[in-house]
Amino acid sequence: MPVAVELPSLGESVVEGTVSRWLVKEGDRVALDQPLVEVTTDKVDAEIPAPVAGIVQKILVAEGQTVAVGAALVMIEAEAGSEAPRKPASAPAAAAAPQAATPQAAPPRETPSELPPATPLARRLAEEAKVDLRSVTGTGAAGRVTKQDVALHASERRPPAAEPGSAPGPGPAAPRPGYGYLSYSLQPGDRVVPMTPLRRLVAEHMVLSKRVSPHVGTVAEIDMSGVTKVRDAHKRTFEQDHGFGLSFLPFVVHASVRALREYPRLNASVLEDAIVEKKDIHIGIAVETEKGLVVPVVRHADRLSLAGLAQALEDLANRARSKRLSADELKGGSFTISNPGRHGNMYGFAIINQPQVGILRMGEIVKRPVVRTLDGQDAIVIRPIMHLALSYDHRAVDGAPANGFLHRIRELLEEAEFDL
Amino acid sequence: MPGALHVEWLGRIAWVDALEAQMKRVEARRAGAGPDTLLLLEHPPVITLGRRTDPAHLLESRAALAARGIDVVEAARGGSVTYHGPGQLVGYLVIDLAARGAADVHRFLRSIEADLIAAIQKLGVAARAQPGRTGVFAAASGRPRKLASIGIGLRGWLSFHGFALNVTLDPSEYAPIVPCGLADVAMSSLVRELGASAPADLMDRTRAAVAEAFAARWEAP
Repeated sequence: MPVAVELPSLGESVVEGTVSRWLVKEGDRVALDQPLVEVTTDKVDAEIPAPVAGIVQKILVAEGQTVAVGAALVMIEAEAGSEAPRKPASAPAAAAAPQAATPQAAPPRETPSELPPATPLARRLAEEAKVDLRSVTGTGAAGRVTKQDVALHASERRPPAAEPGSAPGPGPAAPRPGYGYLSYSLQPGDRVVPMTPLRRLVAEHMVLSKRVSPHVGTVAEIDMSGVTKVRDAHKRTFEQDHGFGLSFLPFVVHASVRALREYPRLNASVLEDAIVEKKDIHIGIAVETEKGLVVPVVRHADRLSLAGLAQALEDLANRARSKRLSADELKGGSFTISNPGRHGNMYGFAIINQPQVGILRMGEIVKRPVVRTLDGQDAIVIRPIMHLALSYDHRAVDGAPANGFLHRIRELLEEAEFDL
Repeated sequence: MPGALHVEWLGRIAWVDALEAQMKRVEARRAGAGPDTLLLLEHPPVITLGRRTDPAHLLESRAALAARGIDVVEAARGGSVTYHGPGQLVGYLVIDLAARGAADVHRFLRSIEADLIAAIQKLGVAARAQPGRTGVFAAASGRPRKLASIGIGLRGWLSFHGFALNVTLDPSEYAPIVPCGLADVAMSSLVRELGASAPADLMDRTRAAVAEAFAARWEAP
C-alpha cells in the first residue's frame, strides 16, 4: 500500500518548509525511521524519518521547493507484511508526545482557585497585562509559567467575550492562529492590546492573501479636472436632491465597473485548475470604521447610474460606521476598491481581497504641475491629480490586461462623460 | 521520562570532532541510552555554512581563508553562514523535544533566546530578542548588535547544533562573511558591550551563567 509522507507540523507558527536535500531516491528501499529528506525552515533544519519500511515510489517535491505543512513530500510503497504505517504526518510530531505527561498539558482551568507555579517576573507581567495566570500554558521548568509565556498568551488572547465559547478544561487550548508570529518579551511601558475577533480575521485574511496570491502592482496618474468639473457643476443640485455631498468615489467606482465589463479577467476568481470570469459585478468598498476594516459590497454595481452608485455607497458607508450592516452585505464581492480618503497619501498597494484577483486603491487628489500641449505648445499647468494603484493576482492576470484595465479607467475618468 | 539536562564542557575542539561528539550523544539519546545534553565548547577559527547559505555571503575564497588558518565547513543546520573562534562560547543542545512535550521548533528557538538573554543579563549586559530575527542582540539603541547566533538541526524531534555566544571574541573576525546573511547587523561581544568593566574571568562566568540558565529550563520534570 502506498503511504504519503507529509511535511509534519514543526511548530504552531511554522506554516511551510523548504526541501533542502533528498537523502533517498526513487526505487530505494528504506527502513522504518530512516531519514528521508532534509527540510529547512527559518534557522532549523529537520530530517523527516520514514514512517514505514518500504520502497520509495515517487518523490513529489524537488529540492529547493517550498511547501505548506501537510503537503505530501514522497510516496512510499509499504513493504508487504510490515507493520501498519504510523499516521504519516505525525512522523516526528506526535511520535512521543504523551500529552498528559507533559508540563504543557496541565489542565489549569480545573483548579481555578490555585495559581500555577510562575516566575516572579511572570507574575508581575501577568498583573500588568491583566492576564489570568491560570489560563497560561507554562513552558518553563516543571511547567512553570515564564515571562515569555505571559507575553505570548497576552498576544494570543481573545477578548473576554469570546471566552465562554472556547473549549473548557484540558486539551489543546489555543486554536492554531492562521498567521505566523514570533514571540516578543514585554518591556516595561509596553501596552498589550488584545486582538478583537475582527482584527484577527483581518490578520488571517491578509496573510492568506499574500501567501496564495502573487501580487503585482501598477499605478496610473489620473488628471481629475474633468471629474472635478462635472462634480462642481452638479454639487449643489445633487446635495439638494439627495441630502448628502457628491464625492469622487462614485466616479471611480463607475469608471472601474465599466472597465471591468471590458476586462472580465479582472472580475474573476482562481480555482484549482480554472479561472472563473464572473458575470455579475459586485464591488466591495474598503471602509475603515472605529472597530476596524470592513468591506461592504455594492451588488450589481454595473446596473446603477452614477447617482445610484453614490446613493448605495453613502448608505453602506453610513451603516458600516454605525455597525448596522448585515452579514450578507459583507459577502460576495467580485472586485474591491479602497478609498483611504483625504489622508490616503500619494499611492499605496492594497492586499487583494480573496478570492478576488484585483484591488484598486485611490490616492489623495492633489493639485500638481503637469505638462500639457495647449495650442501646439508644451506648457506646465496645474491640475488635480489622483494616483490610482492596482494590485492584481498574477496567477490569473498578466501585465497586458492589468495595464490595459487600469489605463481604461484613466481614460474614462479623464474623458469624464458621466450622466447625472 | 527524561532526566535533568546534562551539561558537559569539552574545551577547545575542532568543528568536525565536536560534530562527532554531538552525533554520538544524538544516537545514544535516540536509543534511550543517554541523557538530554548541553555540550559547551569553543572552536578554533572556522566558518560554517548552513543549508540556506547564499554563496555571496562568503566574502573571501576558501583558499584565502585556509591560508589564514580558517576552515570552511558545511553544517546540516538551519540558518545561514556563521563564524566560530576562540572567545566564543558554543552550545550544542541534544534534547528529545517530543519527550519533553516541547515539539515546536519556534518555541524551542525562542526558549534558547530567552535562556541566553537571562544568562547575559546576569553578566550585566542588557540583551533582547528581535522579532523576525533569530538570535540575541544587545538591548541598547542604534544599529542592532548581535551577541549570539542560533541554528538548530532536528533528527525526528531530537535537536542538535544550537547557539554561539560571542564572549571575548573580537567581532572583526567576522569580516570574511555576512553574518547570518544579515547585512545590516553588526556583530558584537560581551566584552565589547561591557567595556572597561569586563572581568578577567568573563568566559568562565559566562559558561556558568549559560549552564545555569539552560539547566533551569530543562530540569527533570
